[in-house]
Amino acid sequence: MSHYETNVVLYRLKKDETFRDRFRADPRRALADVDLTEEEREAFVRWDTRRLNDLGGMLHLLISIPGLGAH
Amino acid sequence: MGRIVYAAAMSHVLYPDYYGQNVGPHGRRMVEELIAVVREMGRSLAAAAPDALVVIADDHLNVFSFDAIPALCVRVGRSVGRMVQRDAIEFDRALDGLPDRYAVHEDLANAILEKGVQAGFDFAASWSAPLDHAFLSPVSTLYGARPVPPLVPFWVNCFVTPQPTAKRCFDAGRHIARVVAEGPWQVAVIATGGLSHFPELSLARIGQSDPDFDRRVVKLMEAGDHGAMSALTAKELHESGSHELLNWLVLLGAVSPARARVRFYGEMGRVDLAALEWDVA
Repeated sequence: MSHYETNVVLYRLKKDETFRDRFRADPRRALADVDLTEEEREAFVRWDTRRLNDLGGMLHLLISIPGLGAH
Repeated sequence: MGRIVYAAAMSHVLYPDYYGQNVGPHGRRMVEELIAVVREMGRSLAAAAPDALVVIADDHLNVFSFDAIPALCVRVGRSVGRMVQRDAIEFDRALDGLPDRYAVHEDLANAILEKGVQAGFDFAASWSAPLDHAFLSPVSTLYGARPVPPLVPFWVNCFVTPQPTAKRCFDAGRHIARVVAEGPWQVAVIATGGLSHFPELSLARIGQSDPDFDRRVVKLMEAGDHGAMSALTAKELHESGSHELLNWLVLLGAVSPARARVRFYGEMGRVDLAALEWDVA
């Protein structure tokens, strides 16, 4: 699926507390090895949930990441 | 010969605090009214004394990772756990305090899986998937302090494109009905979720429902028009925010041609709520 990597990152943010902490501390560094487009990467770094949703990020992930949920 | 002794479908966020925080007092009141109705329905369910309870619901990206998303999945094994997640979203906090594990009706689960594959349904099987609010919020509200019969959890991929079609879900329900009829068990079947909410799965549209669509599908179920329900398209379900009706389609297949009786219907705005029963006795 075209939005696979975006949703994989969102799923990791939801389920992997260590990854989530690294992302909150330094999102660009936490995502350094992840295969994202620049547009996707910037949306993550800015934590622009509307943009991530427009780019294919699943609503149910975006609203349910502990401490970051966009509900 | 086995038979379905009780069938119902209902919205599955039965958690007043969620609606109180996100909708306000009228949302809280509406879901409290729904909860009272679901508890009444639970008395009928318990009186039917099923050997097993098939619960048809969806995963909210809690259980199945993007490693693999099953279209339709039967939970097998001897028992199933409650999902545990630290700092869970509000509506999964409804799970706090519930039992950690529930018995699975292994023979019925295996029969649905194995006969399904023989009949051409490529069901996935899971031995480890836990249950989130979509399963346990209705089950715990229906049963309260009463013992819960062994479960057969059945997942439908309602959210990750491409989802199974409405017709495929209906046909899976027909399969479940056949398996029940061939077996020795008295079985209850419930489907959960809906009505319309989160149209187009768009963050920008959270807060909207589609009452016209909801009134239409409820009328179709009251009329027993399962052909029209099975013909609902992915586009219609997506645009109206009715993704979880796919769970209800499985139930419709299981009870067809029975007509629904509306026990509760409410238009909240953020989500429309409903609870329906089918006369299967």
